[in-house]
Amino acid sequence: MNFLRGVMGGQSAGPQHTEAETIQKLCDRVASSTLLDDRRDAVRALKSLSKKYRLEVGIQAMEHLIHVLQTDRSDSEIIGYALDTLYNIISNDDEEEVDDVEEENSTRQSEDLGSQFTEIFIKQQENVTLLLSLLEEFDFHVRWPGVKLLTSLLKQLGPQVQQIILVSPMGVSRLMDLLADSREVIRNDGVLLLQALTRSNGAIQKIVAFENAFERLLDIITDEGNSDGGIVVEDCLILLQNLLKNNNSNQNFFKEGSYIQRMKPWFEVGDENSGWSAQEVTNLHLMLQLVRVLVSPTNPPGATSSCQKAMFQCGLLQQLCTILMATGVPADILTETINTVSEVIRGCQVNQDYFASVNAPSNPPRPAIVVLLMSMVNERQPFVLRCAVLYCFQCFLYKNQKGQGEIVSTLLPSTIDATGSSVSAGQLLCGGLFSTDSLSNWCAAVALAHALQENATQKEQLLRVQLATSIGNPPVSLLQQCTNILSQGDKIDRRGSKIQTRVGLLMLLCTWLSNCPIAVTHFLHNSANVPFLTGQIAENLGEEEQLVQGLCALLLGISIYFNDNSLESYMKEKLKQLIEKRIGKENFIEKLGFISKHELYSRASQKPQPNFPSPEYMIFDHEFTKLVKELEGVITKAIYKSSEEDKKEEEVKKTLEQHDNIVTHYKNVIREQDLQLEELKQQISTLKCQNEQLQTAVTQQVSQIQQHKDQYNLLKVQLGKDNQHQVSSSDGAQMNGIQPEEIGRLQEEIEQLKSNQELLQSQLAEKDSLIENLKSSLTTPDTNEATASAGESEQIAELKQELTTLKSQLISQSGEMTKLQTEKQELLQKTEAFAKSVPMPIESETVIAAKTADVEGRLSALLQETEELKNEIKALSEERDAIKEQLDSSNSTIAILQNERNKLEVDITDSKKEQDDLLVLLADQDQKIFSLKNKLKEFGHPIEEEDELESGDQDDEDDEDEDDSKDQGHIQL
Amino acid sequence: MTYAYLFKYIIIGDTGVGKSCLLLQFTDKRFQPVHDLTIGVEFGARMVNIDGKQIKLQIWDTAGQESFRSITRSYYRGAAGALLVYDITRRETFNHLTSWLEDARQHSSSNMVIMLIGNKSDLESRRDVKREEGEAFAREHGLIFMETSAKTACNVEEAFINTAKEIYRKIQQGLFDVHNEANGIKIGPQQCISTSVGSIASQRNSGDVESNSGCC
Repeated sequence: MNFLRGVMGGQSAGPQHTEAETIQKLCDRVASSTLLDDRRDAVRALKSLSKKYRLEVGIQAMEHLIHVLQTDRSDSEIIGYALDTLYNIISNDDEEEVDDVEEENSTRQSEDLGSQFTEIFIKQQENVTLLLSLLEEFDFHVRWPGVKLLTSLLKQLGPQVQQIILVSPMGVSRLMDLLADSREVIRNDGVLLLQALTRSNGAIQKIVAFENAFERLLDIITDEGNSDGGIVVEDCLILLQNLLKNNNSNQNFFKEGSYIQRMKPWFEVGDENSGWSAQEVTNLHLMLQLVRVLVSPTNPPGATSSCQKAMFQCGLLQQLCTILMATGVPADILTETINTVSEVIRGCQVNQDYFASVNAPSNPPRPAIVVLLMSMVNERQPFVLRCAVLYCFQCFLYKNQKGQGEIVSTLLPSTIDATGSSVSAGQLLCGGLFSTDSLSNWCAAVALAHALQENATQKEQLLRVQLATSIGNPPVSLLQQCTNILSQGDKIDRRGSKIQTRVGLLMLLCTWLSNCPIAVTHFLHNSANVPFLTGQIAENLGEEEQLVQGLCALLLGISIYFNDNSLESYMKEKLKQLIEKRIGKENFIEKLGFISKHELYSRASQKPQPNFPSPEYMIFDHEFTKLVKELEGVITKAIYKSSEEDKKEEEVKKTLEQHDNIVTHYKNVIREQDLQLEELKQQISTLKCQNEQLQTAVTQQVSQIQQHKDQYNLLKVQLGKDNQHQVSSSDGAQMNGIQPEEIGRLQEEIEQLKSNQELLQSQLAEKDSLIENLKSSLTTPDTNEATASAGESEQIAELKQELTTLKSQLISQSGEMTKLQTEKQELLQKTEAFAKSVPMPIESETVIAAKTADVEGRLSALLQETEELKNEIKALSEERDAIKEQLDSSNSTIAILQNERNKLEVDITDSKKEQDDLLVLLADQDQKIFSLKNKLKEFGHPIEEEDELESGDQDDEDDEDEDDSKDQGHIQL
Repeated sequence: MTYAYLFKYIIIGDTGVGKSCLLLQFTDKRFQPVHDLTIGVEFGARMVNIDGKQIKLQIWDTAGQESFRSITRSYYRGAAGALLVYDITRRETFNHLTSWLEDARQHSSSNMVIMLIGNKSDLESRRDVKREEGEAFAREHGLIFMETSAKTACNVEEAFINTAKEIYRKIQQGLFDVHNEANGIKIGPQQCISTSVGSIASQRNSGDVESNSGCC
């Protein structure tokens, strides 16, 4: 009861007692009443008491309330009251509000109370499962208190409740459905529930992500108006952070789901200078942090780089840079934006290049880098902002040789803008390095060190930098100036801690000199440096100087370890002797060890971001801690090593080199052999190729042989046929199937021509006889007629001559024909002979086929033979052509003959006409003779009958003429 | 990066059967010979092309160990496809298929496409489960079946793509409600417009079918 009194504060014991009895009664009613209404009223009464008498109600009623949840599911009202009551018992939220002014002691007790009741509730795992199933109830009065109850259970004993939900089937999936609830209160409380559910539980985070949480939360954020969206957006962003932070699987899913693209509109912040509400700032801050979760340097490198690429591709980086250069952005948003940009560009060349190209919208435009550096070395800017700028600069240079080169080049004499109209990054860094503000010194030194990180070229380039200190004095190198400030640091009055400046400069020098023997030589060249360092280390100074001593030891160690012995007075050995004499090896190593033992060292080594609570903590740089880790061991070894060991090492090195030489020699041999192998392989492949080609050629040739064989067989058969033809028709044998046809045709033509000839000859004979007849008939007429007929006879003679020539031509043609026939005969004989000469060794060939060479030989022989055959065929066809030509010529002569014959016929018709004329004349004369005879009769003169006979003969001739013409027509047809 | 559809897969089966290796081979085209026990669930994704359509596969590779069984059950409901994997060199992994299948059927949507996979087909000499047995089991339970080798990449691509083809076919048949994301299917961002105009989409689909049949 003491405990209870503590909780209830000023309550007196009396009424408490009665309330406890009331609660007892109510519990009895809930347990025993058979009427639902009764039970409902009792639970409602318990609910109203539960806030005030949390302990009593909790202890006495919980069991009954759980029973109600199990049995009275049909009545949403009683379930709602029961859940509300349980919530009041378990939750600490309201208690805190109510008892705001109460002592801390009581709050802690009430927290205890909540967790104790939670423990009781979840002892029975089924209770949580029951609660999960109740959340499926759509009724607002059930679902809402259910959500709140489960949320507070998770807040009280997160891990245990998470485990129960995880193993209950569909538990997480069911809770995800809350985000789809149309009632905003439930949806928003659902987000809070999921926040508690996903807190540091990877498995649940993944399931929630699997259930499309990203999509839904991003939708809610968009619907609510992004950063303008109030506390709901904030809750969603916190849940998103829960899901993504340190969860690579979910980050990968987020990236693969193209959700990065959906973040871009978040940063499309209007350029209004006013209107940055506290909520908006909070939301934007969370949004920026969410971006950083995805590209955190602690994520796996592959995951971060793919997110960085996506952020550039979708324009998110560009959007962030716009905020960076915008005016009126609250300082903490600006700082976080710089940090975000830093991590989006870190180690990603494309993004770094883009960042280098960003210009501030000033007149004239200045590079963003310059504008940011101006803030870094400006002591009036907030500390966190300056840290952020340094981080941004570091990220810009991280693994960015190009960027490092650009920054260093702004310091080199050749590129410095003589007019001085625009400030360069290098000028700003130098200004910071030698300003009177120790924070600027430190930042500039670290920034410059990052421009040299793992970049031997820039380390050497930076040695060329000369500074004009004051008019009249010779210029001093940057390296010299740094050491000068180190050694005379105490003379200048600075703002801030002196240690910060010296630590900054020493870190710069250590980075500069490591892995760069030329820089070491430059450093040692100044004879004041080594005595200064040994003096610093040897002195027995206070605790705060220990760090500087450690760094001086590191610098001296670097000067030994990376010494190439090019300076006679500061060779490795001599420096080591110096340490032994002036400091002592043990002492030196102890001082060196101060660095990594420093409390701020481990802090800085954890994360790349320079994140310090206040300027005093700004001592170590992350990259520098890496360098210390790398060098501490090797320097310790180098110092402890005696000169003999050194020599031994040299020898070992030499032998190693020898080994190396041998190895390289063998490598070369192997390389050569490799080459040879390659060549041989190529040869093999070409040979293979050739082999294949040859084989294909062989197969081709085999097939050709087969073809040729087939041809031979064919020819043989044809020859056989042709021979038969010869026997029957004494025609010429030819090599292929076409020629016999042609020959047949030619023979036919010859036949025709012969018949034509015969016909012509018969016609000629007829004509001859006709002409003979005509002649004889013409000899009889008068002297007039005779002259005419003489002409005629001349013509006839000519015709005759022509005829004889025709005949002779015919004879010659027939002679030629016989000649052709004989030639054909000869050809046939030749082919026959040839056919006989062609060998047909089929059996032997099957044997030979095995040996390609043999086959090839044979093939060539066969080819030759076929060639010969072809030639012969050619000769034959030529001869055939000749014959054809001759035939053509004879044909043409025949045609000429026909023409001539036609002419003759025309002549004949002419002569016939003349004959007719003559006949007419004869008839006239006959008549005259007749009339004269009649006159003679009249005169009494006797007349001979001869004349009358003559006229009858004349008629006969006419008849013959007619026949002739008929005949002629016939012939012409 | 745009896609027509997004399908969610899960890979299930006894521990050590090569689920993670199948995923690694499919997404990264490499093989990890050392067995690295999956804790809970790991995520992987890849784009594939089916019928000329870009389809994004989001794959959740589950832990095979019994202790993670309750966690992996949460993934069935939202998946459109499941690769149920056994090891052809270990009969017990084949014998446990029934219990895996019961789990899957109980917690998944009824349309989930299940592909049965006999993995480690490269270890023919140590084979303990005949190919025919796998085929018979698949036939009996209405699953698609394939034997794969995550080591040689044999059939790995096909296993994932054939499952996607089957899901795609079911979508075209209207068996899946593509607008309900609980089915593990999502329409790509640029696709929303065309599907809202149903007639055009269906015309286009039918056109696609025709052109496909034409080319085959």
